[in-house]
Amino acid sequence: MKKWQQRIRSLLMEQFSLPSDVVMEMPRITIIGHLHFYIENHQGLALYTNEELRLKVANGFVCIKGHSFVLKMMLPKEIMLEGTISEVLFLNHEGGKEE
Amino acid sequence: MKKENSPTIRAYITVQIRGARPELFLQKCAGKGISIWDVKKIEEDCCQATIMFRDLGALRKIRRNSLYKVSFVDRKGFPFFLSRLCKKRFLIIGIFIGFLFFFVLSNLLWSVKITGVPKEIEEKIETELEAFGIHPGVWLFSLDTPKDIQRQLLNEVPELLWTGVNLQGTTLHLEAVEKTIVEELPPGEPRNLVATKKGIITNMYVSKGRAMVSVNDYVVPGKVLVSGNLNTEEGENNTDAEENPGKPIAAEAEVIANTWYEVHVSIPLRYQAEEITGEQKKKHYLRFGDVQLPFWGFKDPDFIYSQEERREQPIHFFKWELPISYVSKKISETEKIEEQRSKEEAIEAGIQQARTQLENELGPEAVILSEKILHEHTEHGKVELVLYLSVEENIVKEELITQGD
Repeated sequence: MKKWQQRIRSLLMEQFSLPSDVVMEMPRITIIGHLHFYIENHQGLALYTNEELRLKVANGFVCIKGHSFVLKMMLPKEIMLEGTISEVLFLNHEGGKEE
Repeated sequence: MKKENSPTIRAYITVQIRGARPELFLQKCAGKGISIWDVKKIEEDCCQATIMFRDLGALRKIRRNSLYKVSFVDRKGFPFFLSRLCKKRFLIIGIFIGFLFFFVLSNLLWSVKITGVPKEIEEKIETELEAFGIHPGVWLFSLDTPKDIQRQLLNEVPELLWTGVNLQGTTLHLEAVEKTIVEELPPGEPRNLVATKKGIITNMYVSKGRAMVSVNDYVVPGKVLVSGNLNTEEGENNTDAEENPGKPIAAEAEVIANTWYEVHVSIPLRYQAEEITGEQKKKHYLRFGDVQLPFWGFKDPDFIYSQEERREQPIHFFKWELPISYVSKKISETEKIEEQRSKEEAIEAGIQQARTQLENELGPEAVILSEKILHEHTEHGKVELVLYLSVEENIVKEELITQGD
């Protein structure tokens, strides 16, 4: 059932060229250099320290590493992070994958 | 991207959240719609965040069902600033009173400086000023305009020829010039007294000198009345022992003569006059530039004819003139009177007019004895009168005795 739904979504995305973040319920991430990290449509904060931020997204987690992190803004589905970002990781069910 | 920059006009607070994984608590808050910014992790179990003050209630509600501890670190924003100020009430009151003090003091009259006149006239002016309500300690804006003060002073102090009133800061500078009783001739110099007008002498009071005329003599201008030359005829020396015998002295005398004047007056039979009924209304404004804000007396009086008197006083702070000024308006109701008078009344008024005219001309010492109508006729609604007035006055003028050498 879930697989089937996923397939429909991919089809919609390809055939009607709808934006993927809307159709796939995926987060939209904007990164400005290594200074700012801006994420929309996340599903909750899992971990936050000065060196790491882990956010729950549709299928897994997004993990941002760096140092001197400050959450400049927290809204229900958005987060803006400021600091020095060194890496962004997508932790899926299968494992880590670097962007 | 919506960025809520620390809004200073609104109140916001910085809170510290303690407990295991405080970020989860913050996430919960964010999920409830509380906007959070500047989140920092201080310690493993301690997070610092800033929220709006009005969201505090919602935050407390969330905390109630959790194990987290919330403490407040800092409060910022204008409302907090205000409430902090309120706590230092005495400081504020002090500053306010201080300003008020300076404001009041810089709008008071501190001193009146009179220059240019001798001490006794200065004192006289001071008492007069006191009577007008001008003395150190009165409000500057209750003062009349310098012009008014000048006029009043000149009216009340007859010794003054001219006054210059100038308000400089909190000091009223008053420069006055005394009417010098024209003593162009140096005192003590030998002189004769001569007549200035033609007339019949009624009285003579000679204190020094030798009378050359007697009572009931008719004199013409230039006639020597009292001579300072004591020994022209017999060489007799009078009481003036200290004077060098034989030398002419300064004659001193008062010679009252009966003089006469012809005065032409014309009086209209119809006249219009405007009279103040006594009904009046005061309005007070504060003026900022072109804007006048009334702060007392809002209603317009329903006068048909009225006279408006407007006074403006700038308000000072220290030596600076504030852009605010105090304006008071006095609106007095007037009545227009149009009257017709009979010929007799017109003549009566004409005589009165002639008398005052002559009195003004001759000064207070002259006494008008009688008046006669020489000629009258009515033309174009006017009565033309030629009056004959007889006056008793001092006709003496001093004249130096020129010693030929």
